[in-house]
Formats: sequence, structure tokens, C-alpha cells
Amino acid sequence: MSDVIKIEGLTKTYGKKRGVTDLTLKVKEGEIYGFIGPNGAGKSTTIRSMLGFLNFDSGKIEIFGRDSRSEHTAILKDVGYMPSEALFYPAMKVSEVISFAAQVRGLDCRKEAAMLCERLQLDTNKRIKELSLGNRKKVSIVCAMQHKPKLFIFDEPSSGLDPLMQNTFFTLIKEYVREGATCFLSTHVLSEVSRYCERAAVMREGRLIREDSVENLTESSAKTVKLSVDGVQEEYIFNGDINELVSELAKKKLDNLYIEEPSLEEMFMHFYEGKEGK
Amino acid sequence: MLSICRHEWKLGLKSLLIWSLSVGGMGFLCILMYTSMEGDMAAMADTFSNMGAFSDAFGMSTLSIATLGGFFATEVGTVHGLGSAMFAAIMATVLLSKEEDAHTGEFLYSLPVSRGRIVCAKCLALLAELVSFTLICGVLYIGGFIALGEEIPMKELLIFLGCMLLMNVEVSSVALIISACSARNRIGVGLGIALLFYAYDLIGRVVPDMKDYLFAGPFSYTNASEIFSGKEMSAAALITGISVILLSLAASFTVYLKKDLAS
Repeated sequence: MSDVIKIEGLTKTYGKKRGVTDLTLKVKEGEIYGFIGPNGAGKSTTIRSMLGFLNFDSGKIEIFGRDSRSEHTAILKDVGYMPSEALFYPAMKVSEVISFAAQVRGLDCRKEAAMLCERLQLDTNKRIKELSLGNRKKVSIVCAMQHKPKLFIFDEPSSGLDPLMQNTFFTLIKEYVREGATCFLSTHVLSEVSRYCERAAVMREGRLIREDSVENLTESSAKTVKLSVDGVQEEYIFNGDINELVSELAKKKLDNLYIEEPSLEEMFMHFYEGKEGK
Repeated sequence: MLSICRHEWKLGLKSLLIWSLSVGGMGFLCILMYTSMEGDMAAMADTFSNMGAFSDAFGMSTLSIATLGGFFATEVGTVHGLGSAMFAAIMATVLLSKEEDAHTGEFLYSLPVSRGRIVCAKCLALLAELVSFTLICGVLYIGGFIALGEEIPMKELLIFLGCMLLMNVEVSSVALIISACSARNRIGVGLGIALLFYAYDLIGRVVPDMKDYLFAGPFSYTNASEIFSGKEMSAAALITGISVILLSLAASFTVYLKKDLAS
């Protein structure tokens, strides 16, 4: 499978402030790729650099094999982007926003837009200023999907959507991906990554600290150790020689002990708190 | 690009109607007031034309305020000049920055149109709004002349409106630089620019030493009294005006195409 997104050595600073440092990653055609990290990790900077909103300092971004700087407009024709803040022109009707996005693309997307509005239960006669965050998110989803792009870029897409709509949203993504689309999903919600993504990248302080399949991310040598000594409970992630852990535990008078595979949430905390075992 | 131009036009339509009907309406009422003030104006005309530098500043030494042409040039000229400059400045100051200020830029700039073409479309929409503003006001002024049953000084009126339009384009092009540089709407700064240009022209006409530098301001070629008295227009002022427009547009494009868009 070819690489839909290819980022090499991306560095972006805001004056003296760090944005992203030397980021390299690849997203393959037809995959749902998770992009995880806490606030300020550089996720949005990466996305905004990909879309041409930011002029990055160094590195290279290729999308569909095209240079993001010189072929920016051609790339955007095949991209459906959903920003974290779904903000539109307040006085416009939902239907006007959706048809404006299609008109600018020079496409007739009425059929697809109608299908999406129906599945997302979106009232197109309302004005944007009358909508809740969740409904604005739905408008954003329709605008990102109605032209059936080859690549979806989602930045915190599910925030504000109720669980039912979240389910509809991810069902839609899976349907488009089955038809050949690729999805780059930036999120805080780790359960979404573990449930829907094949591979994921973990960002911390502007750097990529791990990129792997979701399976490998959770199936590392690290273990979650939960123990109770004299009524005091302790929990940590151990990453190292398991025999050392057993020797260490043997010295303690344990009331209880659990050694488990860590969840993605725990791995994430482990990565971004920088704990390398205990 | 046409879709974005049309979209921008729709966004500015309400402001256009409010401002043009207000300024044009005030001009229309001023013209209608002429007959009721005609007698008093005749008595005051001599006093107004002998106030030295202030008479020069407001054009009352060139044209008699007692005539409809003089009254129009003095009263409507000032109202239209200030009102249209403020409208142009406000619209241009928010033209680009409003996308970042209202966080709509992420939607607009993710559409497959280059940033340069989006700026072009927005500038075209602004130009159409300025032309429409001038036309609406022009129609109202002509309506005023017709309502009074007076002959319409069509040639002078067209030159006056044409010069005002050029001044509006110049003011808006300078205000556009603010819009390109800022991620927030700076309406106050835009209004300040319009008022500063007006004050510059006023001071230039009152202070004798400043007269030589008057041509640098956009109001220098819009003086209604000079236009209605048939005084030849300053070529230096027009050339300066057009140069300012071109340089300001170039500066705005250069800044905006290279800047990082705020989220």
C-alpha cells in the first residue's frame, strides 16, 4: 500500500515557543491512523502544517505524493478536514454552509449531503447561530464527507457528539475507508484509537515518542503492577526484566498483587508522563 | 473564486445597506433642507466665505453656500466623505481578520482554493460593495435634486462620486494592511485611519505651511467645493492615491500569503 501522508523531519516553532520538532511519520492508504497526545503536544500544529495553514520551518510533507507547499490546492481537493472547533458563519443556514462548501469545490454533492444529514439527524433549515456544539460538529462532518474525499483529517472529531452520534460518525468513517479512503484521526479519546485505528502515533512536547500498531503499543513488555502492602495500595507500570520485578516483589509482604497487560490509556499515561518503569 | 466572492458579498450586504442608506439618506435630507434654509443661507454666505482659513478648509471661500451646488458641496460633501471613508475602513479592516477572529478560517481555508485567490475574491467583493455604496448614495442625491425640482449638476456629481469612490478604495487598501497583519478585528484602528486622513486634509487646508503636502492624503482629491467650482484636479494627488492603493494591496498580499493563520 502506498503512503498517503509522508512527513519527514517536520519542525515548526512559534518564535521561541516549540510547536513540532523533527516529526517523521507515514500514513498508509486505507488505514485509520490514530494521532494521540496531550494538549500542546503538537497534534494541531502538525495538522495545520499539513493543510497549509502554517508555514513550517523545515522538513517536508507529502500528501498523495504531492508537496504540501507547492501543490496545496490540489491536495485539498481530495481532503475532508474537520477542525476541533466547528465554527461557521453564524447568520448562514446549515444548508447554505453545506452548499457553499460544495460550490467552492465545484461539485454537486447534494445526494451525499442529504444522506449524511439524514443519518446524522441534522436540521438543515436552522441557522448556525441556533446550533449547539454537537450540531455544529455534524455540519462539520457533512462538509468534510460530502465530496467523498480520499483522505479524512479529523481533529478531536467526537467531542460534543452524543454516544449515538459518535457511533454513527465512526460507522460512516469505516464505510468510507472500506471504499478506499484513509483517515488521520487526532484525538484525546484513547478508546476510539484502540477501537478503530490500526496504527497510532503518540506525541509528547512536540516530538513523536512512539509510532506502532495499536496492538503493539499495548502489547509491549510493560506491565501494570497493582499491589497492596499493609493496606496501602500502589500501582505502576513496570518496563524491564520481569525477573527483577519478581525479586523486588519477593522482598515485600504483599496483601494482594495483580500483574496485567496495560490498557492503551495506561500506556498513554506512561508515555506522556515519561515514566520508563519503576 | 466566484462562490467566495458571492459569499463575501452576502456577509457584507447588511452593513452595506445600513451605511449606504444612512449616509445617502442624510445627504438626501440635507438637499431637501436647502429650500427651507435658502433665505438664511443667503444672509450667512458672506460671513461663511470670509472666515479665512476655515472658509478655505470647508470650501466656503470657493463656492457660495447660498447656492444649491455650494450647499451640496459643503454639507453633503462632508457627510459623504466622512461616512463613506468610515464604511470603507470598517469593511476593509475586518475583511481578512474576521476569519481568524471568528475561527471560520479553518473551514474556509481548508477548501481547495489558494489563499491568494481567496484574498482576491474578498477584495473584489469589497470593491463591489464600495461601488454599490456610491451608487445607492448617488441615486439618493439625484432623488433629492429631483424632489427639489432643481437641475442636476450631473457632470460635477459624477466626478464627485468617482473621486469619493477612489478615496474609499484608497482608505480601504490602507485598512486592509491592518486586516492582513492582525488575527483580531481592529475596527477602532480602521476608523482611526479614516478619521486621521480626514484630519490630515483639514489641517492641510487650514495651515498654510501644510498646503504643499496636501496631495498625499486621500481626501485631497475629493474636495466637493473644488469639484463643483470646476477647479482642475491635482494630478499629483491622483497619482499618489493610485500608488498608495497599489502599494497597500501588494503589502497586504505579501503579509497575508506568508502568515500563519491563527486557529
